[in-house]
Amino acid sequence: MIDSSILAIAKKEVYHIVRDPFTLALALGMPVVMVLFFGLAIEFNLDRIPIAIFDGNKSPDSRTLIRTFVSSDYFKPTYVLSPSQGVQMLDEGSVNAALVIPPTYARDLTFFGQSSVQVLVDGTDNSSAGSILGYLSGLQLSAVQNQFEAHNLKHPIHVVTRFLYNPELNSRWFVVPGLTAVVIAVLSILLTSLTVAREWENGSMELLLGTPIKPIEIILGKLMPYWVMGLLAIVFVFMMSQVVFGVPFKGSFLIYLLSCLVFLLTYLAQGLLISVLTRKQQLSMQFAMLTGLLPTLLLSGFIFPVEHMPDFFYYLTMVLPARWFILISRRIFLQGANFFDVLPSFLVMCLILAVMITLATRKFKKDVEP
Amino acid sequence: MRTLLGFIRKEFLQTLRDPRMRLLLFLAPCVQLSIFGLALSTEARNIRLSVVGSPSDSMLQTIYRECLASGWFISAKVSTNDPFEQVQKDEADAVMVAPPGGLDKALGRNEGQLQLLVNAINVTRGQSIERYFMLVTQSQVSTHSPISLDLRVLYNPALRSEFFLIPGVMSMLVCLITILLTSMSITKEKEVGTFETLISAPILPEEVLLGKTIPYVLLGMSNIPLIMGVAIFIFDLPLRGSIAWFFISSLVFVMCTVGIGTMISTLARNQQQAMMGGFIFLFPAMLLSGLVFPIENMPWGLRVFSYLNPLTYFIEILRNITLKGGDMRLLLFDTLILLAMAVIAIFISWRRFKTTL
Repeated sequence: MIDSSILAIAKKEVYHIVRDPFTLALALGMPVVMVLFFGLAIEFNLDRIPIAIFDGNKSPDSRTLIRTFVSSDYFKPTYVLSPSQGVQMLDEGSVNAALVIPPTYARDLTFFGQSSVQVLVDGTDNSSAGSILGYLSGLQLSAVQNQFEAHNLKHPIHVVTRFLYNPELNSRWFVVPGLTAVVIAVLSILLTSLTVAREWENGSMELLLGTPIKPIEIILGKLMPYWVMGLLAIVFVFMMSQVVFGVPFKGSFLIYLLSCLVFLLTYLAQGLLISVLTRKQQLSMQFAMLTGLLPTLLLSGFIFPVEHMPDFFYYLTMVLPARWFILISRRIFLQGANFFDVLPSFLVMCLILAVMITLATRKFKKDVEP
Repeated sequence: MRTLLGFIRKEFLQTLRDPRMRLLLFLAPCVQLSIFGLALSTEARNIRLSVVGSPSDSMLQTIYRECLASGWFISAKVSTNDPFEQVQKDEADAVMVAPPGGLDKALGRNEGQLQLLVNAINVTRGQSIERYFMLVTQSQVSTHSPISLDLRVLYNPALRSEFFLIPGVMSMLVCLITILLTSMSITKEKEVGTFETLISAPILPEEVLLGKTIPYVLLGMSNIPLIMGVAIFIFDLPLRGSIAWFFISSLVFVMCTVGIGTMISTLARNQQQAMMGGFIFLFPAMLLSGLVFPIENMPWGLRVFSYLNPLTYFIEILRNITLKGGDMRLLLFDTLILLAMAVIAIFISWRRFKTTL
């Protein structure tokens, strides 16, 4: 099936790679280092949020309130001497929230049975501000309970949330299956986008074309070594996810492997398309960064859920293979999805692959024929 | 001086000659900022909610209707009555499950426990689903509390996610462009062979180095007003601090990234290595900058890298200057750190440059 001319081109490409041990080491080592690095770095669950506390009342009642805030481990308190010092700390960004207890706190509570404290929240980071706000509403209830020691005061509707597939909302379980996709995607685009461009720039492409090898064979031959390298990286990364991060893998290895293969091909094809289009190393690298790195990082659902995007962009993300692969990967890892569950995403990925390959060979052929 | 000017002209011509490069330099950042600004949102939408319980359970149906009316939830089309299967088949993102006997009766016994099943394969989405659901149910049964919290959200009262993300994306784009441009600049001359010509020409090595950095600092700076314009006019990002400081810190940041790019360029032997070097810098720089992931949550070993990362400081400066109005102490401190980094990077490239000569 694979004829000898493809293998010959592949062999030539292998020499190119091996001759440059720096690139080889990077291509194999970087994915592992990065998964380790970012698997540890990314943590969505906030705890120990720095809060400035001003106690203008200094009564047993205000201390009870402060204890409610502090004992939760959700906040890390810094005590300040004036409300303006708290605001100053918010300006500098050294605290994310400030609690200001007025001098009349205990009196109001005793005489009017009703008192109010001010909470200032830094809204710069809207998502952590949102989670602080959510947390405060729960804290308000326990503050009342602690104050009156009234345990019967219950929220009438008690919502018990059960998070399926990731009960502790472990960020690693969420990030690592996606990160696999991102690292592989970026690496394969970068490596391949340079291969054809380099041959054009060095003028060796004319030589290759002068040989009786068909353009499609040149392309396949050039892709093959990178495909094997990418595959090795995938195996590495997968082992890391199991051994170091303990991410559960509930689905079938076979389906996962199959999706990995197709995904890898899609990104190799994209890299190839870029290098055929640009023919210059610097330009093709820029394109690879702009069409590969950024969208894969930001628009694929790796961090920002695609469901949250406006409709136009929600549909636009559908042309990104990484969006589908990350979905497949998460569902196989955590949900134990079977083949039919992931089939639609898988087919879309195959379609994108077919389009990329067709475009690349077409463009390549047109360049070649006079 | 004349030779230097000539050299700078050559670099400009060489970079801007290619029309595709011009597009990439000036149009792409604006387009990208718009795309990312419009697309990225941390606010959940279209949460497919389904309900498992009796249709005559009035409290349950009220909550369900309230959820749909809130705009965050949409009703899920389900093919089965088993809540777990609905999530497994990806027909619903969240399922409300009534207690046995119905929520109305349970409330009568004063133990209204309502279960919410959330598909948490996406942690961020899972968290926001719970938060929105809580908000809806809480507003349903607003109890008058003796201790009230007077909540005030500063700087970004509407909690718009683009205000948080755009300063970060801006810095990232500037960093990306300058690193990509400069990391190959000297390497390319080495690979093409024109480097020998440069060496034999009567130009001082310092002049070559300056000629290789100044044009890119200028190109990088020309991007700043463009990107800021998009941020202000399309996303009405406020610029509450001083414009002068904004430009000063931008200049220092661009000098820093151009310095790092040049350093990579002097260290690499061929273009592929230079590109890899640029990439090895950019990828961690983006993820460890506080752009999306809060630095405070990282373990100590990694936080060290965040503090060595110029992007961290520039993002902090931009967020502070746009949203908070610029705290002088913070601006001065961060700009000085960036300046120090720029000096170190340029010094290393100079040393390395001399030895290769």
